[in-house]
Amino acid sequence: MTDDAPTIRARATAVLNGVHALRAASTEERAAWIAEAAVALKQRAGQAGPELSDATGLTVPMVDWASRTTLDAVRQDTLLALARKASLESGQSSGPITMLAVVLAGNVFTASVRSIVVPLLLGVPVLVKASSKEVTFPMMLRDALRRTNATLGAAIDIVAFSGGDAGCETALVERAEAVSVYGSDETVAALASRVDHAPLIPHGHGVSVAYCGAVAMDDARQSDTIANLSLDICAYDQRGCLSPQLVFIEAATDRTARDFALRLAEEGLDPMSQTLPRGPLPASVGAEQTQWRGLAEVEGTLIRGKSFGLAIRSAQAARWSPGYRNMSIVPVRTMAEAFSVIEPIGAALKCIGADLASIPEVRARLRESRALSGYACNLGSMQTPALDAPADGLPIWHGLLRPR
Amino acid sequence: MSFRSDFKSRIEAMIASFDRGEEVDPTLRDVLIEDLATWQASRIPEYSRLKRQGAWPPALPTDVFRFRRIAAHAKEEDVRVFLSSGTTSSERSVHAYGDLSLYDRAARVAARRMLFPDVDQLRLVMLAPHEKEAPDSSLEYMLTRFAEWFGAECTWAWRQGELDLDLLTDVLGRAEVAREPVALLGTSFAFVHAEDGLGQRRFELAPGSRVMQTGGYKGRSREVDSEVLLEAISDRYGIAAPWIINEFGATELSSQLYETTLREAIHGPAGTRRLWVPPWVRATPVDPDTLRPVEGDAVGILRIDDTANMDSVCCIQTADLAKRVEDGIVVLGRAPGATPRGCSLAADQALGAR
Repeated sequence: MTDDAPTIRARATAVLNGVHALRAASTEERAAWIAEAAVALKQRAGQAGPELSDATGLTVPMVDWASRTTLDAVRQDTLLALARKASLESGQSSGPITMLAVVLAGNVFTASVRSIVVPLLLGVPVLVKASSKEVTFPMMLRDALRRTNATLGAAIDIVAFSGGDAGCETALVERAEAVSVYGSDETVAALASRVDHAPLIPHGHGVSVAYCGAVAMDDARQSDTIANLSLDICAYDQRGCLSPQLVFIEAATDRTARDFALRLAEEGLDPMSQTLPRGPLPASVGAEQTQWRGLAEVEGTLIRGKSFGLAIRSAQAARWSPGYRNMSIVPVRTMAEAFSVIEPIGAALKCIGADLASIPEVRARLRESRALSGYACNLGSMQTPALDAPADGLPIWHGLLRPR
Repeated sequence: MSFRSDFKSRIEAMIASFDRGEEVDPTLRDVLIEDLATWQASRIPEYSRLKRQGAWPPALPTDVFRFRRIAAHAKEEDVRVFLSSGTTSSERSVHAYGDLSLYDRAARVAARRMLFPDVDQLRLVMLAPHEKEAPDSSLEYMLTRFAEWFGAECTWAWRQGELDLDLLTDVLGRAEVAREPVALLGTSFAFVHAEDGLGQRRFELAPGSRVMQTGGYKGRSREVDSEVLLEAISDRYGIAAPWIINEFGATELSSQLYETTLREAIHGPAGTRRLWVPPWVRATPVDPDTLRPVEGDAVGILRIDDTANMDSVCCIQTADLAKRVEDGIVVLGRAPGATPRGCSLAADQALGAR
């Protein structure tokens, strides 16, 4: 599917025409419609597993897990709570913007859900450019919204075109009051050059890390830690910005780090490669994986599984993995040592997943940091952010409301 | 006779036999690779840690050359150390040689066959620096040897870090008037600099003129699609496309692969543009998960077993995507990086800055 500039303009007009009806509905009505659409979409996605698997490069069980966990969070109560919070924090006198243009990335197919439902909930029509790699799920979401309620459905549409097409990009953004861009820094920069009339909400490059404190490494807790960390690594085949690429383990020596890595492989990642198998490895990632694993093997720290690889690296030589279930394990003495590695990541850090006992200190350090804007969440939930989780250090409704 | 001398004799004999026009039995090459890899694993601890995946010896990823010294000889026996381009130490591969005679022999025989199959010597114009200006570059070393072996005369048009456009224009202009064929050899980014700097000036070089370009861009010029650059070079210098070939080499390798079109234009029959693999080298696209050869013409990552890499490791795993085409290889380029890698780049830069 590829749209040209006149088609995109026509859809922008149609979406804008839906604004009055959308605003005429109450927040409660919109929340109810969206929640109902989420239920319908969950059912539809469950039936369309093979189709979504083809479109996303994830396996059918992974697609099923991803759509289920994402859509389960879209409930009337969570939507209303988000709307209340947005209203409270933005001030009673604020109101929705006239239209949001969204550019989606293709690495995490369910990211379209929050990008679309949050503006609709707040009364903002949305024109979405789907990633050329993944159009199927956003279309299913749009169709579910349309089938559930015509008012809601009229305020959302999807377009698709090749990135870098100046005419199409201009048509996408020219009538939007804000433009939200997910993707590479190059994509963000390209769109920024087309938007001089409206705020740009950038969601560029990013990485996440995990932190397992001493308590989580305790023998009694290690099984839970391994189960949670395995899920964070395997979810979306570690393709997303919220996927951890490094895990710091506290109070560990190289030897205990290796013991932990072996348990993570045997008790976590290996079984999960059966329940949530990895999708096919793209050749380009495979080339990186071969180099990454080869270096770890030469250093004597590689643990290789059927569809995963673990490498133990010191904090001084921490190395990002190519994703796709390849993980660097970094033993540290203290959280301060871990933050000496994390701090230079700066604004590119999206999330730190940490065990329950470590979360308060992680949050405190994030608050104190001038460079970091990421947020902390529990291990095991890195890829299932709450509906109201911040994005790039800002509330998810940032840019959608303005003073009346 | 030491193991090293024995290996050197076997490799030299294989290259010499090919140079005499004899067929090289691939089985002999494969046995040599196996034996050489076993010997190298006994001398290089890093290599010995790699586990065999399938029938062949393990291949050492090129990245390892960035972080570890990979040599079967002691450091004090180094006669030359080549570094890849890059700005930080972790970006630069290091390849140490205790002896360059195998490198020289492999380079000379391959270039004679693919780049100069019709002439003993030719006027050379280098769009690259002389080795005195870049003593740690294997490319500049090779080109300087080419000047000695194949150059009737040689002009080095890349000086003090930039292309000398006046010199280039002058030497090509004179060759054009004299109807004297020229071989233009250099990096792809140097040819782009020439494109950007020569403006409307075009040449109609004499028949027999040829171009060898090599390497990527690494941020040293704007990037140009290979087909577009081929057309631009053809148009700029008046050289037919088959006479413009790519050389595939790497700091981590001692042998070079050349595109086939120039030789086929001279000796026929013409086939698809592809890289010729010298018979002392085995080039194989492998599956990234299993590291075993892919079937047919499927895309894999390029493994090169180069017997001329006697002083380091002969089995090398590159990060280039490639596929088999006829009896050769087509390299599809360096892995572009998937979305998560894109995400990692900013952070990689941050880590690199620590």
